Amino acid sequence: MPDVVVCVKQTVDVYQLKPHPETLAPQLSQAQPKNSDFDLNALEEAVRIKEKHGGRVVVITAGAEVKPLLVRECLAMGADEAYVFSHRDLARADGYVTSTVLSKMIEKKVGKWDLIICGEASLDEGAYQTGPMLAEIFNVPHVSYVNRLEYEDGVVKAWKTVEEGVAVVRCRTPAVLTVGLEINTPRLPSLLMIRAAQKKPLVELKPEDLGLNPEMLNPLAERQQVKALKTERRRKIFEGKPEELAEQLVETILAEGVVKK
Amino acid sequence: MNVLVFGEKLEQLAGLTSFIATKLRPSTVYSAIFDEPKEQDVSVLGGAGADKVISLPSHIWAGGAAQAAAALSEVVKKLDLDLLAVYASKTGLEIAPRAARRLNAAYASESVSLETADGGLLASRLVLGGGYVSTVLLKTRPAVVSMKAVGETGAFSKKPAVEKFSLSVEAPGVELVEIVKPEASHVELEKAEVIVSVGRGFKKKEDLAMAEELGRLLGGELGCSRPISGDLKWLSEERHIGLSGKRVRPKLYIALGISGQVQHLVGMRDSRTVIAVNIDSNAPMAAESDYFFVGDIYKILPIAIQKLKEKLGR
Repeated sequence: MPDVVVCVKQTVDVYQLKPHPETLAPQLSQAQPKNSDFDLNALEEAVRIKEKHGGRVVVITAGAEVKPLLVRECLAMGADEAYVFSHRDLARADGYVTSTVLSKMIEKKVGKWDLIICGEASLDEGAYQTGPMLAEIFNVPHVSYVNRLEYEDGVVKAWKTVEEGVAVVRCRTPAVLTVGLEINTPRLPSLLMIRAAQKKPLVELKPEDLGLNPEMLNPLAERQQVKALKTERRRKIFEGKPEELAEQLVETILAEGVVKK
Repeated sequence: MNVLVFGEKLEQLAGLTSFIATKLRPSTVYSAIFDEPKEQDVSVLGGAGADKVISLPSHIWAGGAAQAAAALSEVVKKLDLDLLAVYASKTGLEIAPRAARRLNAAYASESVSLETADGGLLASRLVLGGGYVSTVLLKTRPAVVSMKAVGETGAFSKKPAVEKFSLSVEAPGVELVEIVKPEASHVELEKAEVIVSVGRGFKKKEDLAMAEELGRLLGGELGCSRPISGDLKWLSEERHIGLSGKRVRPKLYIALGISGQVQHLVGMRDSRTVIAVNIDSNAPMAAESDYFFVGDIYKILPIAIQKLKEKLGR
């Protein structure tokens, strides 16, 4: 029966994010925190594996200010237990630090595992790096961009999105997989599942529990500045009856002069 | 500075080699290939600014991303290089972070710019759904970046020597079973002058026929936001425009029923003119459009298509 670890990142909801009108910096405190989208696809896939093959699903979350309520959401979706490492230095974390911390959480708290499943990229950084870096640390194979998955007796068959179409690949566990939104639709937990999640273990960890020293939380890639991209568009708005709008739309398209008559 | 450049396809490798050679002006640019390069490939890389071509065993490439990462890391270590730059194809984005971790190196994924600075290399990349630029200082030597940047490939006239690297790597393998190619014909959205793009405003797959017809009338290609190809699978992945799909820059981009999530915007932001039709005047697409039509695509499109047919005589 496979033990599956799912790495879940809490990020701001980038859809709500507005830049500061003058500095153009993102106003992070005004956007709600949420579980990063693809990480919930990862969790859903892990729970489906458990439903079919048994085993357990462990969620691990590391961040500057982890919200326990969001971790409970993961437990309500079907994870059995969760480990949390919340440390303010992680606000500056790069992929190196993040993968170091997650690997320590797995090593010290999860013990034996068969699969690590991550979202292919996070909602905020979108770097596609955590899964492959974890695989490198544990010296195991990884498969990114998985859109369909079959697990049987220590062998993973995965369909991954590549430029040419879909590559079907196979590897042995232990392995790391990263998934996007194509693989499934994450379930919405029922009230019963939400209530049951209150009793599941959610363990908060300290640096000493993980053998982490301050140096290990120091990023190799240091963020200097984040600024909104500005687009210069004419922003002309048309409103009215469908007939009028259709007429104006056709005129606007033809006025561009790119359509060959 | 000495740099190793890798791209899985020759044009990607040459493009990124030229970008690095032009932008960073390193003393030596090495271009890596998992094969024995043909003479003409070597001359293409010379034209792109490569001083040396590193030839690596092709069986390593067949072993998957972990082995490729191990081999490239080995070259970086043996030649004592300052930077590994990997073309950010989907596979490149699997190799680069593994190599960075292996080298204990700072890494910037999908960088859009790169320059030397005090204390390391300064890379910028798009974050927060593609709406923001983050600047990061890569403080280690070596450092690793992945980029889609390409420079002019005929800008140099170097005659690089080929250096054969025979190395054995210890890294876990992934076995390729098969590649399933999509049934749809090859679409080159990147080269289209007109793109008609569809989003969640369409309620059924059959309704996309309206957008297809508009596209045909305008001589354009059909594109879409991620839910249409990903969740709903109404169109093939090769028509997906956005952060994890294609980046396009047509002369005319017509967004139909696309609200304008940041992940989509990053894929179409370089379009010359953007026209959008959306029922919601508060949709983020409004700020990203030159001409924004507030209305129901189901009412406007049939009339507009009829009018276009009359005007164009098609």
